[in-house]
Amino acid sequence: MRRINFAALLALGTVAGLAVFSQADALQTTKAFKEVVLTIVITPSPAPVGFLPRRPAPPAPNAAVRPLMARLVEDPYAGPARIASSGAAWDVAPGGTLIAQAPSVQPSPVPVQFVAKPDPNSAFLRIVPHTGELDVPYGTTTFPCAFEIFTFYTTAHQLTDWGYGTKTQNPPPPTYPIQNWPAASYLSWAVPDNSPTFKTYNNAGPPGETTWTGRAGQSQQHCIDLSIVVPNSQAAGVYTAAIQYNLLVN
Amino acid sequence: MRRLIAAAAALLFTTVTAGGAAADTAGSAQIKYKINPTVRAQVIPNYLSGFGPIGGLGSGQTPAVGASAVLGGGTVDFGNVVVGYQYLYKYAAQVSVQTNDAAGFVVYGEGATDLNGSNPVPAPATFPLAQTLFWLISNASNSPFSPAHTFNRTGGVPIAGGSGGIDYSGSGGQPPPMAVIWSNPTSGNVSQGYDYQLRLSGTIPASQFNVYIVYTVIGN
Repeated sequence: MRRINFAALLALGTVAGLAVFSQADALQTTKAFKEVVLTIVITPSPAPVGFLPRRPAPPAPNAAVRPLMARLVEDPYAGPARIASSGAAWDVAPGGTLIAQAPSVQPSPVPVQFVAKPDPNSAFLRIVPHTGELDVPYGTTTFPCAFEIFTFYTTAHQLTDWGYGTKTQNPPPPTYPIQNWPAASYLSWAVPDNSPTFKTYNNAGPPGETTWTGRAGQSQQHCIDLSIVVPNSQAAGVYTAAIQYNLLVN
Repeated sequence: MRRLIAAAAALLFTTVTAGGAAADTAGSAQIKYKINPTVRAQVIPNYLSGFGPIGGLGSGQTPAVGASAVLGGGTVDFGNVVVGYQYLYKYAAQVSVQTNDAAGFVVYGEGATDLNGSNPVPAPATFPLAQTLFWLISNASNSPFSPAHTFNRTGGVPIAGGSGGIDYSGSGGQPPPMAVIWSNPTSGNVSQGYDYQLRLSGTIPASQFNVYIVYTVIGN
Protein backbone atom coordinates (compact mmCIF):
# COMPACT_ATOMS: atom_id res chain seq x y z
CA MET A 1 0.00 0.00 0.00
CA ARG A 2 2.82 2.36 0.89
CA ARG A 3 4.55 1.44 -2.35
CA ILE A 4 1.40 2.33 -4.33
CA ASN A 5 1.07 5.67 -2.55
CA PHE A 6 4.69 6.49 -3.28
CA ALA A 7 4.21 5.70 -6.95
CA ALA A 8 1.11 7.87 -7.10
CA LEU A 9 2.97 10.72 -5.39
CA LEU A 10 5.83 10.39 -7.85
CA ALA A 11 3.43 10.49 -10.77
CA LEU A 12 1.71 13.54 -9.37
CA GLY A 13 5.03 15.29 -8.93
CA THR A 14 6.00 14.50 -12.51
CA VAL A 15 2.72 15.90 -13.81
CA ALA A 16 3.12 19.01 -11.68
CA GLY A 17 6.65 19.51 -12.95
CA LEU A 18 5.55 19.14 -16.55
CA ALA A 19 2.73 21.58 -15.96
CA VAL A 20 5.14 24.19 -14.61
CA PHE A 21 7.48 23.92 -17.59
CA SER A 22 4.60 23.85 -20.06
CA GLN A 23 3.19 26.97 -18.48
CA ALA A 24 6.54 28.66 -18.90
CA ASP A 25 6.29 28.07 -22.64
CA ALA A 26 2.69 29.22 -22.74
CA LEU A 27 3.60 32.52 -21.13
CA GLN A 28 4.89 33.78 -24.46
CA THR A 29 2.04 35.94 -25.66
CA THR A 30 1.47 38.37 -28.47
CA LYS A 31 1.89 41.85 -27.04
CA ALA A 32 1.19 43.63 -30.32
CA PHE A 33 1.06 42.96 -34.02
CA LYS A 34 1.07 45.16 -37.08
CA GLU A 35 0.49 44.74 -40.76
CA VAL A 36 2.88 46.17 -43.31
CA VAL A 37 1.03 46.74 -46.57
CA LEU A 38 3.17 47.27 -49.65
CA THR A 39 1.89 48.45 -53.01
CA ILE A 40 3.80 46.77 -55.80
CA VAL A 41 3.43 48.10 -59.33
CA ILE A 42 4.79 45.89 -62.08
CA THR A 43 5.68 48.03 -65.04
CA PRO A 44 6.18 46.52 -68.48
CA SER A 45 9.86 46.23 -69.27
CA PRO A 46 11.28 47.95 -72.33
CA ALA A 47 10.85 46.01 -75.55
CA PRO A 48 13.56 43.37 -75.87
CA VAL A 49 16.27 43.82 -78.46
CA GLY A 50 15.24 41.96 -81.61
CA PHE A 51 15.28 41.99 -85.38
CA LEU A 52 13.41 44.82 -87.01
CA PRO A 53 13.04 44.85 -90.79
CA ARG A 54 14.48 47.91 -92.42
CA ARG A 55 11.82 50.38 -93.37
CA PRO A 56 12.06 52.61 -96.39
CA ALA A 57 12.50 56.27 -95.68
CA PRO A 58 9.20 58.13 -95.33
CA PRO A 59 8.21 60.19 -98.35
CA ALA A 60 9.18 63.83 -98.24
CA PRO A 61 6.29 66.15 -97.43
CA ASN A 62 4.72 67.85 -100.41
CA ALA A 63 6.19 71.31 -100.21
CA ALA A 64 3.67 72.62 -102.71
CA VAL A 65 0.86 72.10 -100.19
CA ARG A 66 2.34 74.43 -97.60
CA PRO A 67 1.90 77.73 -99.49
CA LEU A 68 -1.67 76.71 -100.25
CA MET A 69 -2.40 76.12 -96.58
CA ALA A 70 -0.76 79.39 -95.62
CA ARG A 71 -2.89 81.22 -98.14
CA LEU A 72 -6.06 79.52 -96.93
CA VAL A 73 -5.27 80.45 -93.38
CA GLU A 74 -4.71 84.02 -94.48
CA ASP A 75 -7.88 84.16 -96.61
CA PRO A 76 -10.20 81.16 -96.35
CA TYR A 77 -12.44 82.42 -99.15
CA ALA A 78 -9.69 82.72 -101.72
CA GLY A 79 -10.03 79.29 -103.31
CA PRO A 80 -9.50 76.95 -104.94
CA ALA A 81 -11.20 75.24 -102.00
CA ARG A 82 -13.51 77.18 -99.74
CA ILE A 83 -13.30 76.78 -96.01
CA ALA A 84 -16.14 77.88 -93.80
CA SER A 85 -15.26 80.12 -90.93
CA SER A 86 -17.05 82.01 -88.24
CA GLY A 87 -15.04 84.91 -86.92
CA ALA A 88 -11.84 83.56 -85.50
CA ALA A 89 -13.16 80.03 -85.05
CA TRP A 90 -12.78 77.53 -87.84
CA ASP A 91 -15.66 75.27 -88.76
CA VAL A 92 -13.20 73.16 -90.68
CA ALA A 93 -9.65 73.45 -89.52
CA PRO A 94 -7.17 74.07 -92.31
CA GLY A 95 -4.57 71.47 -92.98
CA GLY A 96 -6.88 68.50 -92.67
CA THR A 97 -6.53 68.34 -88.88
CA LEU A 98 -9.82 68.17 -87.03
CA ILE A 99 -9.77 69.12 -83.38
CA ALA A 100 -12.71 67.79 -81.41
CA GLN A 101 -13.70 69.57 -78.26
CA ALA A 102 -14.25 66.81 -75.70
CA PRO A 103 -17.06 67.58 -73.27
CA SER A 104 -16.11 67.38 -69.62
CA VAL A 105 -17.97 67.61 -66.37
CA GLN A 106 -16.95 67.74 -62.71
CA PRO A 107 -19.61 66.47 -60.30
CA SER A 108 -19.67 67.56 -56.67
CA PRO A 109 -16.44 66.48 -54.93
CA VAL A 110 -16.49 63.78 -52.28
CA PRO A 111 -15.43 65.00 -48.83
CA VAL A 112 -13.32 62.49 -46.89
CA GLN A 113 -12.35 62.74 -43.24
CA PHE A 114 -10.94 60.70 -40.38
CA VAL A 115 -9.64 61.27 -36.89
CA ALA A 116 -6.23 59.69 -36.36
CA LYS A 117 -5.78 58.47 -32.79
CA PRO A 118 -2.42 57.63 -31.23
CA ASP A 119 -1.38 54.02 -31.28
CA PRO A 120 -1.09 52.59 -27.74
CA ASN A 121 1.19 49.84 -29.03
CA SER A 122 3.70 52.18 -30.63
CA ALA A 123 5.89 52.14 -27.51
CA PHE A 124 6.54 48.44 -28.18
CA LEU A 125 6.18 47.94 -31.90
CA ARG A 126 6.05 50.42 -34.73
CA ILE A 127 6.73 50.52 -38.44
CA VAL A 128 8.63 53.37 -40.06
CA PRO A 129 7.83 53.39 -43.80
CA HIS A 130 10.33 54.67 -46.34
CA THR A 131 9.05 53.49 -49.68
CA GLY A 132 5.42 54.12 -50.47
CA GLU A 133 5.17 52.28 -53.74
CA LEU A 134 7.52 49.66 -55.11
CA ASP A 135 7.76 50.06 -58.88
CA VAL A 136 9.36 46.93 -60.27
CA PRO A 137 10.27 45.72 -63.75
CA TYR A 138 10.51 42.05 -64.64
CA GLY A 139 13.37 40.23 -62.98
CA THR A 140 14.77 40.82 -59.51
CA THR A 141 14.72 44.21 -57.80
CA THR A 142 16.14 45.06 -54.39
CA PHE A 143 14.92 47.88 -52.17
CA PRO A 144 17.39 48.77 -49.41
CA CYS A 145 15.68 49.81 -46.20
CA ALA A 146 12.17 49.69 -47.64
CA PHE A 147 10.94 50.23 -44.08
CA GLU A 148 12.18 50.07 -40.50
CA ILE A 149 10.78 48.30 -37.45
CA PHE A 150 11.15 49.39 -33.85
CA THR A 151 10.70 46.97 -30.94
CA PHE A 152 10.97 47.30 -27.18
CA TYR A 153 9.75 45.41 -24.14
CA THR A 154 10.63 45.13 -20.49
CA THR A 155 11.20 41.37 -20.67
CA ALA A 156 12.84 39.11 -23.21
CA HIS A 157 10.91 39.30 -26.46
CA GLN A 158 10.79 38.10 -30.03
CA LEU A 159 9.66 39.64 -33.32
CA THR A 160 8.09 37.20 -35.76
CA ASP A 161 6.53 37.64 -39.18
CA TRP A 162 4.59 35.94 -41.91
CA GLY A 163 3.24 37.12 -45.19
CA TYR A 164 -0.38 36.90 -46.18
CA GLY A 165 -1.16 34.62 -49.04
CA THR A 166 -2.21 31.57 -47.11
CA LYS A 167 -5.15 29.53 -48.29
CA THR A 168 -6.62 29.58 -44.80
CA GLN A 169 -7.78 33.13 -45.33
CA ASN A 170 -11.38 33.53 -46.31
CA PRO A 171 -11.78 34.91 -48.90
CA PRO A 172 -8.33 34.01 -50.20
CA PRO A 173 -6.37 37.08 -51.21
CA PRO A 174 -4.53 37.43 -54.50
CA THR A 175 -1.43 35.33 -54.15
CA TYR A 176 1.29 37.37 -55.85
CA PRO A 177 3.86 38.13 -54.51
CA ILE A 178 3.55 36.25 -51.22
CA GLN A 179 2.00 33.17 -52.86
CA ASN A 180 0.38 30.28 -51.08
CA TRP A 181 2.37 27.74 -49.13
CA PRO A 182 3.99 25.41 -50.22
CA ALA A 183 4.84 27.69 -53.15
CA ALA A 184 7.72 29.99 -52.23
CA SER A 185 7.15 33.71 -51.88
CA TYR A 186 8.51 36.00 -54.56
CA LEU A 187 9.16 38.58 -51.84
CA SER A 188 12.25 38.20 -49.64
CA TRP A 189 13.59 40.13 -46.69
CA ALA A 190 16.84 40.80 -44.89
CA VAL A 191 17.86 42.70 -41.79
CA PRO A 192 21.25 44.04 -42.90
CA ASP A 193 22.18 44.97 -39.32
CA ASN A 194 22.01 41.28 -38.46
CA SER A 195 22.66 39.43 -41.71
CA PRO A 196 22.85 40.39 -45.38
CA THR A 197 21.22 37.13 -46.44
CA PHE A 198 17.74 37.39 -47.94
CA LYS A 199 15.06 34.97 -46.80
CA THR A 200 11.78 34.39 -48.60
CA TYR A 201 8.82 35.49 -46.50
CA ASN A 202 7.12 32.72 -44.58
CA ASN A 203 3.69 32.24 -46.13
CA ALA A 204 2.37 29.39 -44.01
CA GLY A 205 0.73 31.55 -41.36
CA PRO A 206 1.38 31.27 -37.60
CA PRO A 207 3.82 30.75 -35.95
CA GLY A 208 5.76 32.27 -38.85
CA GLU A 209 9.47 32.96 -38.66
CA THR A 210 11.71 34.89 -36.28
CA THR A 211 12.71 38.34 -37.52
CA TRP A 212 14.87 39.08 -34.46
CA THR A 213 14.96 38.63 -30.70
CA GLY A 214 15.48 41.15 -27.91
CA ARG A 215 16.69 41.11 -24.33
CA ALA A 216 14.70 42.49 -21.41
CA GLY A 217 14.56 46.28 -21.70
CA GLN A 218 16.27 46.33 -25.09
CA SER A 219 14.97 48.73 -27.70
CA GLN A 220 16.11 48.31 -31.27
CA GLN A 221 15.25 49.65 -34.69
CA HIS A 222 16.46 48.04 -37.88
CA CYS A 223 16.04 48.47 -41.61
CA ILE A 224 14.26 45.79 -43.60
CA ASP A 225 15.66 45.28 -47.10
CA LEU A 226 13.31 43.77 -49.65
CA SER A 227 13.96 41.79 -52.77
CA ILE A 228 11.17 41.13 -55.29
CA VAL A 229 11.19 38.71 -58.18
CA VAL A 230 8.76 39.36 -61.02
CA PRO A 231 8.50 36.29 -63.24
CA ASN A 232 7.79 36.75 -66.93
CA SER A 233 4.43 35.04 -66.45
CA GLN A 234 3.20 37.75 -64.09
CA ALA A 235 0.93 40.31 -65.71
CA ALA A 236 1.77 43.99 -65.31
CA GLY A 237 -0.43 45.77 -62.81
CA VAL A 238 -0.88 46.72 -59.18
CA TYR A 239 -0.38 44.14 -56.44
CA THR A 240 -0.41 44.23 -52.66
CA ALA A 241 1.82 42.42 -50.21
CA ALA A 242 0.68 42.27 -46.59
CA ILE A 243 3.11 41.11 -43.91
CA GLN A 244 2.19 40.68 -40.29
CA TYR A 245 4.80 41.44 -37.61
CA ASN A 246 4.17 40.09 -34.11
CA LEU A 247 5.85 41.08 -30.86
CA LEU A 248 5.93 38.05 -28.59
CA VAL A 249 6.80 38.57 -24.92
CA ASN A 250 7.37 36.35 -21.91
CA MET B 1 -25.13 74.07 -85.28
CA ARG B 2 -23.23 76.38 -87.64
CA ARG B 3 -23.30 73.64 -90.25
CA LEU B 4 -27.03 73.29 -89.84
CA ILE B 5 -27.55 77.05 -90.34
CA ALA B 6 -25.25 77.06 -93.34
CA ALA B 7 -27.10 74.16 -94.92
CA ALA B 8 -30.46 75.83 -94.26
CA ALA B 9 -29.20 79.07 -95.78
CA ALA B 10 -27.96 77.18 -98.81
CA LEU B 11 -31.34 75.49 -99.16
CA LEU B 12 -33.12 78.84 -98.94
CA PHE B 13 -30.79 80.37 -101.48
CA THR B 14 -31.34 77.48 -103.85
CA THR B 15 -35.11 77.70 -103.45
CA VAL B 16 -35.20 81.43 -104.06
CA THR B 17 -33.03 81.13 -107.14
CA ALA B 18 -35.05 78.26 -108.51
CA GLY B 19 -38.28 80.10 -107.78
CA GLY B 20 -37.14 83.01 -109.85
CA ALA B 21 -36.56 80.80 -112.89
CA ALA B 22 -39.54 78.45 -112.72
CA ALA B 23 -42.27 78.67 -110.05
CA ASP B 24 -43.46 75.06 -110.32
CA THR B 25 -40.09 73.36 -109.97
CA ALA B 26 -39.83 71.03 -106.99
CA GLY B 27 -36.67 69.53 -105.56
CA SER B 28 -35.07 67.99 -102.55
CA ALA B 29 -32.16 68.87 -100.37
CA GLN B 30 -29.97 66.73 -98.22
CA ILE B 31 -29.27 68.26 -94.86
CA LYS B 32 -26.42 66.89 -92.79
CA TYR B 33 -26.07 67.81 -89.17
CA LYS B 34 -24.07 66.70 -86.21
CA ILE B 35 -25.28 66.20 -82.66
CA ASN B 36 -22.66 67.42 -80.24
CA PRO B 37 -21.58 64.83 -77.68
CA THR B 38 -22.75 65.49 -74.17
CA VAL B 39 -21.59 64.07 -70.87
CA ARG B 40 -23.33 64.26 -67.53
CA ALA B 41 -22.13 62.71 -64.29
CA GLN B 42 -22.99 62.42 -60.64
CA VAL B 43 -21.05 61.12 -57.65
CA ILE B 44 -22.92 59.70 -54.67
CA PRO B 45 -20.99 59.19 -51.42
CA ASN B 46 -22.01 56.32 -49.14
CA TYR B 47 -24.09 54.96 -51.97
CA LEU B 48 -25.16 51.61 -50.53
CA SER B 49 -26.48 50.36 -47.22
CA GLY B 50 -23.64 48.83 -45.24
CA PHE B 51 -21.23 51.64 -46.08
CA GLY B 52 -18.47 52.43 -43.61
CA PRO B 53 -15.06 51.37 -42.35
CA ILE B 54 -13.77 47.92 -41.44
CA GLY B 55 -10.27 46.79 -40.48
CA GLY B 56 -7.81 48.17 -37.96
CA LEU B 57 -6.59 44.63 -37.38
CA GLY B 58 -4.33 44.64 -34.34
CA SER B 59 -5.31 48.11 -33.13
CA GLY B 60 -7.63 46.79 -30.46
CA GLN B 61 -10.43 49.07 -31.67
CA THR B 62 -13.36 48.29 -33.90
CA PRO B 63 -13.89 51.08 -36.44
CA ALA B 64 -17.28 52.73 -36.72
CA VAL B 65 -18.55 55.13 -39.35
CA GLY B 66 -18.35 58.80 -38.39
CA ALA B 67 -21.33 61.06 -37.78
CA SER B 68 -20.85 63.00 -41.04
CA ALA B 69 -21.67 60.00 -43.19
CA VAL B 70 -25.26 59.39 -44.29
CA LEU B 71 -26.67 56.96 -46.78
CA GLY B 72 -26.59 58.48 -50.25
CA GLY B 73 -24.65 61.59 -49.29
CA GLY B 74 -22.61 63.37 -46.68
CA THR B 75 -18.95 62.64 -46.05
CA VAL B 76 -16.87 59.53 -46.42
CA ASP B 77 -16.19 59.58 -42.69
CA PHE B 78 -13.87 56.89 -41.35
CA GLY B 79 -14.53 58.06 -37.80
CA ASN B 80 -11.77 57.30 -35.28
CA VAL B 81 -8.86 55.32 -36.68
CA VAL B 82 -5.57 54.33 -35.08
CA VAL B 83 -2.20 55.47 -36.41
CA GLY B 84 -0.27 52.60 -37.94
CA TYR B 85 -3.21 50.47 -39.09
CA GLN B 86 -5.18 49.84 -42.27
CA TYR B 87 -8.87 50.32 -43.03
CA LEU B 88 -11.34 49.72 -45.83
CA TYR B 89 -14.36 51.99 -46.34
CA LYS B 90 -17.01 50.05 -48.17
CA TYR B 91 -19.31 51.69 -50.73
CA ALA B 92 -17.52 55.02 -50.43
CA ALA B 93 -18.62 56.58 -53.72
CA GLN B 94 -20.53 55.72 -56.85
CA VAL B 95 -19.83 57.47 -60.13
CA SER B 96 -22.70 57.58 -62.65
CA VAL B 97 -22.17 58.83 -66.20
CA GLN B 98 -24.66 59.52 -68.96
CA THR B 99 -23.26 60.21 -72.41
CA ASN B 100 -24.23 59.95 -76.05
CA ASP B 101 -20.58 59.92 -77.06
CA ALA B 102 -20.12 56.72 -79.02
CA ALA B 103 -16.43 56.78 -78.14
CA GLY B 104 -17.23 56.65 -74.44
CA PHE B 105 -15.57 58.59 -71.65
CA VAL B 106 -12.78 58.64 -69.09
CA VAL B 107 -13.19 59.34 -65.37
CA TYR B 108 -10.35 60.88 -63.38
CA GLY B 109 -10.08 61.07 -59.60
CA GLU B 110 -7.67 63.27 -57.65
CA GLY B 111 -7.33 64.87 -54.27
CA ALA B 112 -7.87 68.63 -54.37
CA THR B 113 -5.15 68.95 -51.72
CA ASP B 114 -3.05 66.81 -49.42
CA LEU B 115 -4.67 65.73 -46.15
CA ASN B 116 -5.41 68.87 -44.14
CA GLY B 117 -4.94 68.40 -40.41
CA SER B 118 -7.02 70.18 -37.81
CA ASN B 119 -8.14 69.77 -34.21
CA PRO B 120 -5.34 69.91 -33.24
CA VAL B 121 -3.47 71.45 -36.17
CA PRO B 122 -0.34 69.33 -36.62
CA ALA B 123 3.03 70.62 -37.71
CA PRO B 124 3.25 70.54 -40.64
CA ALA B 125 -0.45 71.10 -41.16
CA THR B 126 -0.74 68.67 -44.06
CA PHE B 127 0.16 65.03 -44.61
CA PRO B 128 0.74 63.45 -48.05
CA LEU B 129 -2.39 62.04 -49.60
CA ALA B 130 -0.44 59.67 -51.84
CA GLN B 131 0.08 56.24 -50.27
CA THR B 132 -2.40 57.11 -47.53
CA LEU B 133 -5.79 57.13 -49.28
CA PHE B 134 -6.44 54.52 -51.97
CA TRP B 135 -9.33 53.52 -54.24
CA LEU B 136 -10.53 50.19 -55.57
CA ILE B 137 -13.67 49.03 -57.34
CA SER B 138 -16.31 47.88 -54.86
CA ASN B 139 -16.45 44.17 -54.34
CA ALA B 140 -17.79 42.08 -51.47
CA SER B 141 -14.42 40.36 -51.08
CA ASN B 142 -12.43 43.59 -50.68
CA SER B 143 -10.32 43.87 -47.54
CA PRO B 144 -7.94 46.48 -46.11
CA PHE B 145 -5.17 44.51 -47.85
CA SER B 146 -6.71 44.22 -51.31
CA PRO B 147 -4.70 45.71 -54.17
CA ALA B 148 -5.63 49.35 -54.60
CA HIS B 149 -4.53 52.52 -56.37
CA THR B 150 -3.47 55.60 -54.52
CA PHE B 151 -5.15 58.97 -54.84
CA ASN B 152 -2.71 61.76 -55.61
CA ARG B 153 -2.79 65.45 -54.88
CA THR B 154 -3.74 67.38 -58.01
CA GLY B 155 -1.42 69.56 -60.04
CA GLY B 156 -4.38 71.82 -60.79
CA VAL B 157 -5.75 74.63 -58.69
CA PRO B 158 -8.32 73.66 -56.04
CA ILE B 159 -11.41 75.85 -56.07
CA ALA B 160 -12.57 76.95 -52.62
CA GLY B 161 -10.22 74.48 -50.98
CA GLY B 162 -11.52 71.70 -53.17
CA SER B 163 -15.20 71.95 -52.35
CA GLY B 164 -15.69 73.67 -55.70
CA GLY B 165 -13.60 71.18 -57.66
CA ILE B 166 -10.28 71.66 -59.43
CA ASP B 167 -9.33 74.14 -62.14
CA TYR B 168 -7.16 72.40 -64.73
CA SER B 169 -6.92 75.32 -67.14
CA GLY B 170 -3.34 76.03 -66.09
CA SER B 171 -2.20 72.41 -66.11
CA GLY B 172 -2.98 71.08 -69.55
CA GLY B 173 -6.74 71.45 -69.35
CA GLN B 174 -7.39 68.04 -67.85
CA PRO B 175 -6.12 65.69 -65.13
CA PRO B 176 -3.00 63.61 -65.78
CA PRO B 177 -3.25 60.05 -67.16
CA MET B 178 -2.17 58.58 -63.82
CA ALA B 179 -5.43 59.87 -62.32
CA VAL B 180 -7.62 57.70 -64.54
CA ILE B 181 -9.94 55.54 -62.47
CA TRP B 182 -12.36 54.39 -65.17
CA SER B 183 -12.28 54.25 -68.93
CA ASN B 184 -15.50 53.25 -70.70
CA PRO B 185 -15.41 52.84 -74.50
CA THR B 186 -19.13 53.15 -75.24
CA SER B 187 -22.04 55.53 -74.80
CA GLY B 188 -24.85 54.88 -72.37
CA ASN B 189 -25.95 55.35 -68.79
CA VAL B 190 -23.50 53.50 -66.59
CA SER B 191 -22.35 53.47 -62.96
CA GLN B 192 -19.41 52.13 -61.00
CA GLY B 193 -18.93 51.92 -57.23
CA TYR B 194 -15.69 52.45 -55.37
CA ASP B 195 -14.32 51.50 -51.96
CA TYR B 196 -11.62 53.56 -50.29
CA GLN B 197 -8.63 52.26 -48.33
CA LEU B 198 -6.87 54.16 -45.59
CA ARG B 199 -3.35 53.02 -44.81
CA LEU B 200 -2.08 55.05 -41.89
CA SER B 201 1.67 54.97 -41.54
CA GLY B 202 3.21 55.27 -38.11
CA THR B 203 4.37 58.79 -38.95
CA ILE B 204 0.98 60.45 -39.36
CA PRO B 205 0.26 62.75 -36.41
CA ALA B 206 -2.82 62.37 -34.24
CA SER B 207 -5.33 64.86 -35.62
CA GLN B 208 -8.48 65.21 -37.67
CA PHE B 209 -7.78 65.13 -41.39
CA ASN B 210 -9.91 66.23 -44.33
CA VAL B 211 -9.61 66.18 -48.10
CA TYR B 212 -11.89 66.54 -51.13
CA ILE B 213 -11.72 63.89 -53.83
CA VAL B 214 -12.62 65.46 -57.17
CA TYR B 215 -13.91 63.39 -60.07
CA THR B 216 -13.65 64.71 -63.62
CA VAL B 217 -15.44 63.03 -66.52
CA ILE B 218 -14.26 63.72 -70.06
CA GLY B 219 -15.77 62.37 -73.27
CA ASN B 220 -13.46 60.57 -75.64
